[in-house]
Amino acid sequence: MSKRSNKNIIQEANLQTSHQITRKYFFKECFSGIGAMALGSMVGGCDWLGSKDRLDQFVNSNPLMAQAPHFIGKAKSVIYLHMAGAPSQLELFDYKPELLKLDGQDCPQSLLEGKKFAFIRGVPKMLGPQAIFKQRGQSGAWISDNLPHLATVADEISFLKAVQTDQFNHGPAQLLMHTGSARLGRPSIGAWATYGLGSENSNLPGFVVLTSGGNNPDAGKSVWGNGFLPSVYQGVQCRSEGDPVLFLKDPAGIDRDLRKASIDAINEANQLTYNEFKDPETIARMAQYEMAFKMQISVPDVMNINDEPAYIHEMYGTQPGTTSFANNVLLARKLVEKGVRFVQLFDWGWDSHGTDVKNAVDIGLVNKCRSIDKPITALLLDLKQRGLLDETLVVWGGEFGRTPMQENRDGKTLPFKGRDHHTEAFTTWMAGGGIKQGTSFGETDEIGYSAISGKVTAHDMQATILNQLGFDHEKLVYPFQGRSFRLTDVHGRVINEIVA
Amino acid sequence: MILKRVPKIYIVILLFLVPVLIGSRYFINNKQVDFNAEVKPLINKKCISCHGGVKRQSGFSLLFRQEALAVNKSGKVAIIPGDAENSEMIKRLYLTDPEERMPYKHPPLSNDEISLLKKWINQGAKWGDHWAYVPVEETPIPSVGVGPFGLFGKPSWIKNNIDPFIYKKIKAEGLTPASIADKPTLLRRVSFDIIGMPAPEAIAKKYLQNNNEDAYEILVNELLATPQYGEKWAGLWMDMARYADTRGFEKDDSRTIWRYRDWLINAFNVDKPYNIFLTEQLAGDLLPNPTDAQYIATAFHRNTLTNDEGGTDNEEFRTAAVIDRVNTTWVSLMGTTFACVQCHSHPYDPFKHEEYYKFLALFNNTRDEDTYAEYPFLKEFHNTDSIRLFQLQDWLHKNAPSREKDLMRFIKTGQTAINSLVADQIINGALADTKWLMLRNKGEARIKDIDLTGSTLLYYKYKSWKPGGKWEIHLDSAKGPLLKNIVVENSKGDWKIATTAIPTTIGKHHLVFIYNNRQINNPDENGIQYDWLRLDNPFPKNGTPEGELAYNNFDSLLHSNNYTPTPIMLDNPSNMSRTTHIFERGNWLVKGKVVVPDVPASLGGLPAGAPKNRLGMAMWLTDKKNPLTARTIVNRIWEQLFGQGITETLEDFGTQGIAPTHEELLNYLSWQLMNTHQWSLKKMIKEMVMSATYQQDSKFNKDAITKDPYNKLYARGPRVRLSAEQIRDQALTVSGLLSNKMNGPSVYPYQPEGIWKSPYNGAKWILSTDGDQYRRALYTFWKRSAPYPSMLSFDGTSREVCAARRIRTNTPLQALNSLNDSVYIEAAQHFAKRVIKMVPQNASKQISKAYELAFNKTISPDQQKVFEKLYQTALTRYKQDSFRIEQITGNKNGDASSAALMMVTTAIINTDEFLTKN
Repeated sequence: MSKRSNKNIIQEANLQTSHQITRKYFFKECFSGIGAMALGSMVGGCDWLGSKDRLDQFVNSNPLMAQAPHFIGKAKSVIYLHMAGAPSQLELFDYKPELLKLDGQDCPQSLLEGKKFAFIRGVPKMLGPQAIFKQRGQSGAWISDNLPHLATVADEISFLKAVQTDQFNHGPAQLLMHTGSARLGRPSIGAWATYGLGSENSNLPGFVVLTSGGNNPDAGKSVWGNGFLPSVYQGVQCRSEGDPVLFLKDPAGIDRDLRKASIDAINEANQLTYNEFKDPETIARMAQYEMAFKMQISVPDVMNINDEPAYIHEMYGTQPGTTSFANNVLLARKLVEKGVRFVQLFDWGWDSHGTDVKNAVDIGLVNKCRSIDKPITALLLDLKQRGLLDETLVVWGGEFGRTPMQENRDGKTLPFKGRDHHTEAFTTWMAGGGIKQGTSFGETDEIGYSAISGKVTAHDMQATILNQLGFDHEKLVYPFQGRSFRLTDVHGRVINEIVA
Repeated sequence: MILKRVPKIYIVILLFLVPVLIGSRYFINNKQVDFNAEVKPLINKKCISCHGGVKRQSGFSLLFRQEALAVNKSGKVAIIPGDAENSEMIKRLYLTDPEERMPYKHPPLSNDEISLLKKWINQGAKWGDHWAYVPVEETPIPSVGVGPFGLFGKPSWIKNNIDPFIYKKIKAEGLTPASIADKPTLLRRVSFDIIGMPAPEAIAKKYLQNNNEDAYEILVNELLATPQYGEKWAGLWMDMARYADTRGFEKDDSRTIWRYRDWLINAFNVDKPYNIFLTEQLAGDLLPNPTDAQYIATAFHRNTLTNDEGGTDNEEFRTAAVIDRVNTTWVSLMGTTFACVQCHSHPYDPFKHEEYYKFLALFNNTRDEDTYAEYPFLKEFHNTDSIRLFQLQDWLHKNAPSREKDLMRFIKTGQTAINSLVADQIINGALADTKWLMLRNKGEARIKDIDLTGSTLLYYKYKSWKPGGKWEIHLDSAKGPLLKNIVVENSKGDWKIATTAIPTTIGKHHLVFIYNNRQINNPDENGIQYDWLRLDNPFPKNGTPEGELAYNNFDSLLHSNNYTPTPIMLDNPSNMSRTTHIFERGNWLVKGKVVVPDVPASLGGLPAGAPKNRLGMAMWLTDKKNPLTARTIVNRIWEQLFGQGITETLEDFGTQGIAPTHEELLNYLSWQLMNTHQWSLKKMIKEMVMSATYQQDSKFNKDAITKDPYNKLYARGPRVRLSAEQIRDQALTVSGLLSNKMNGPSVYPYQPEGIWKSPYNGAKWILSTDGDQYRRALYTFWKRSAPYPSMLSFDGTSREVCAARRIRTNTPLQALNSLNDSVYIEAAQHFAKRVIKMVPQNASKQISKAYELAFNKTISPDQQKVFEKLYQTALTRYKQDSFRIEQITGNKNGDASSAALMMVTTAIINTDEFLTKN
């Protein structure tokens, strides 16, 4: 069968079905109520009795079709780079010369009283910065030598130096960062964004997740889950080994023509079922089978980095055929270029406790930095040269920070230099997507223990990300268990200080 | 009923009079305002966000009548019953000053809305009870006679008492009910609904061949009697119980709790009355002399998450689990979203902040403390140990009846024991991995408030690494009196249970441990690690030969590892009970005043004589006066059969939930369940599926699309996509692969590589063999952080918290799943083989046979044509590319025709007709 006939069938199916599907969707959502309030919140009300005229307004609102936000957002898509395990701000961005002077001294009681740490017990010693810092670019941002490439693009970035959380364990803290709640069960930020905005590319999922570092994040797949939103909004984990999307590949023995023939047969049979039952859901299913067929081409295509030019590989430090953070960063660029709304990267291995060489702040952390430095820098430059940085919000961070004290797990001296989990102050940054260039907001005290000004929380970051996409975070809501839920729960403030 | 005695002719006369009455002004003005239908929605929309359970601006709240009628901060009374003109609330609606006029900073109420409120106040400002909070009463069946004035019999469409409720509304909306579906359709529908999979062949055949009136009822009875019935309904309950085979959070290690799943299957199969079913799950351990099964039932609330991540606060996650038990109890068993009352009074419904914590106090006294071993659990001993257990019990019963209960409980559950993770004031030691007290040389720690009264023996489970350890226990402080000096035997790194005699001591004391070991020179070296302690007395008849013999059994059971553990609920003994505080704004660290266990006042108090614990709560919950329990389960069963609840929000019957489409029917069915059916779910299901409403054809007619696209009126049968479990079970059934094996540990069917990647957890997915890879979906190992992919893509939930309902979606990932997942490819291969075995030759006949096996009916000529075309295309292709034949059929000797037929079976498995309950 020729490509032409493929295309015709697809177009025909789309034309024929879009009206009915979307009508159906609207009917369903309005009448069943689950989305009634949701849609209502976004488009200004949904008449319970559903007049015919009003229905026609929503003919184009299938669950993943691109939708208008509350106002015109500066960003169209988001790339969120999460360093799972929590990178040390004190070795990367939060320069504390005073802490160096205190290196090796007992931690003052005042910093320990009434505080809880994950592993520090008794009286730990202070640990000076284990990296060399310099001021970079016009903005004079402090960036350590651990990130020499990133230092060259400092003027693109807005740093948040006084981020706080109330969770000092990885799982709950990651959940808070991505779902707005430290407990399991809430939708992730990518799911919210896709729910609000739909997808711009009907051949690709709206929300894609890529992981590296050998493990999934501590909180598991819930950090990209749909929570109580319909499952269509959950993050689709694209993998660099095996099928990029689960079950994407046809089994051996079925080639494209046969797959086409079988989907045609399925849909012809479905057409007969539709003729008999007239259930609009059948039409929707036909469209989804066509879409699946298209995804079988479009996903491997976008997930393939072999054909990128040599200079791109050089720039990102990518090696096709491997699993790496660098490859994932390049894929993230390709995905947003194709209209994917939210790309979430998790890189595992940033938990610098000092229990072994891999998580020593002066050894393992340096290596982890090396693996992200070039690709992230390349991402910002590459997006910029393609004119995409203005409309792509790049977010970088972990789930909490690390203590200015050296970890003394169970009261013992550890073999390597490390830092415990710290909730009171850490650094994240944003760039592109309508964020100010070359600024820094928030300050910590002279040893980097407490935030003293410009404090922000996970909810504030979430409010800001939604704001850049065009949403009022207080109005993007979904009714569940008797009340309207939102990503930021009852918290959150847009960090206008870094919004351009 | 009074009406029943009135001759119909008078009713007819009355009916003629109604329009006359309606026309009179007198009638309109005196019509009582309906608080629930008219006033409450207005208040919820316009007032309650500032004057409700969360905010009480100016001290005024409209949630409870008593509060609304009280004097406010301003010194004025907002509502004076009978006097709208002087009621401050009404005055405020008319003002012009934007600071004073209500609703504050929002558009004013319309004149109609204001006059409604005035009328309501003038009529006495009566608060109506929300429908769902009123106890269920017997509901009369609506009369739906035909002919003039409805006097001439009932419509022939009606089959049982459900139908008049439905029929009345259908007629009122100008629709016509659909006729009864054809037999194969009905067979398939009722099979999925009752047993979650296609009917066993014999039952199906019998039904299709029986043309008598009672054929359908026989079918229903037979399906209800199959063991697969229990599996289907257990699957539903597992969503509510948030059943999973792992503990959740970072490490997400395995948990052995499948005996609870098996308990569910059996409970459904024996049709355990729903009130008992709930009582055993909520409080089985508190029943007199609980059986093992009753203990296992309590695992319902041990499906909460346990956090093993290093550095986590055990009390925080213990508290989180208790909170989850409260929320799950309400949302799954009583259709009420109680979670918001955790932080403040319910914004819309009559539940006060304090009542949340009173209810939480009912759950707050269980022994579980987020320990690594998930104590307490019930040990089911195997082989010879099960005989020892029997012998021990028998001996204790005869020789030491006063000790029997306590010692058997210790052997079977390890309780009561004190977990070492409660230790504090630790010096030279730590909570290892925050789970076990560990002391180094010269280490010290305290265990608070231990009641030593009446105990002369101490059991302790510990590990040590070197000989020479000395452990001192002092009372109250390190310098306090020495209770005991213990020489710790080197356990060489293994867990060991040891005993030591202790002197008689009265009262509660802190136990302060001091550990010394001269053989340990390195200050960082671990000396001893404790798991638990238990205070007891010497074994009965200690020292006598028969006592020795019994003790041997006791001792080997105590040390046995030959058992299956199931986490269960057990309450603390009274000398260890916890006090419960209100958490201010829901924060567990900010403790407010102490509360005593109780249930919310607005739903009737605990029944007379009910204890203030989980058992009393279960008695209250299953009391016929509880307005929510029966309604919630009836609504849920209806949702399983019809694809949507009578109240669509299964999880919220409150004033913010969606109002029921057929409130009277819901009341009628709830009454039936509790009274006529005596809480039998099988009888309830049978009544529903025997209705004409259920048996209707599900085709959409024109009226359906324009007037009732979502079938809220039920003028046609239900048509919904099958669940994740049903889709898998169906594919395995038609292919003949399905294993009928029931119960046992969860299994590992085919799953793509790389799904499991939890940090600090080396667990691997190892494909099950010997037919276990073809078990029903509910037996699939459920890992919370990485659930089985096809479960997720077909709208399964992660089982982290209770999912009161699944939201159905329709996505391309589902298409990819059923096209390309090895499970479905293998099913299609075997499906084709099965057809060829039955019809060795003739492609046309093979195709029609395949269709018949899938749907129990004859293929239509149009469908035949579609699949024959696919068959021919595939046949041509496989003849050309013969190397693909083995790849696709999985058979070395496969030929092009079997490969082509496999393309057809794949297609059938993927049709809308196959994926949907028609």
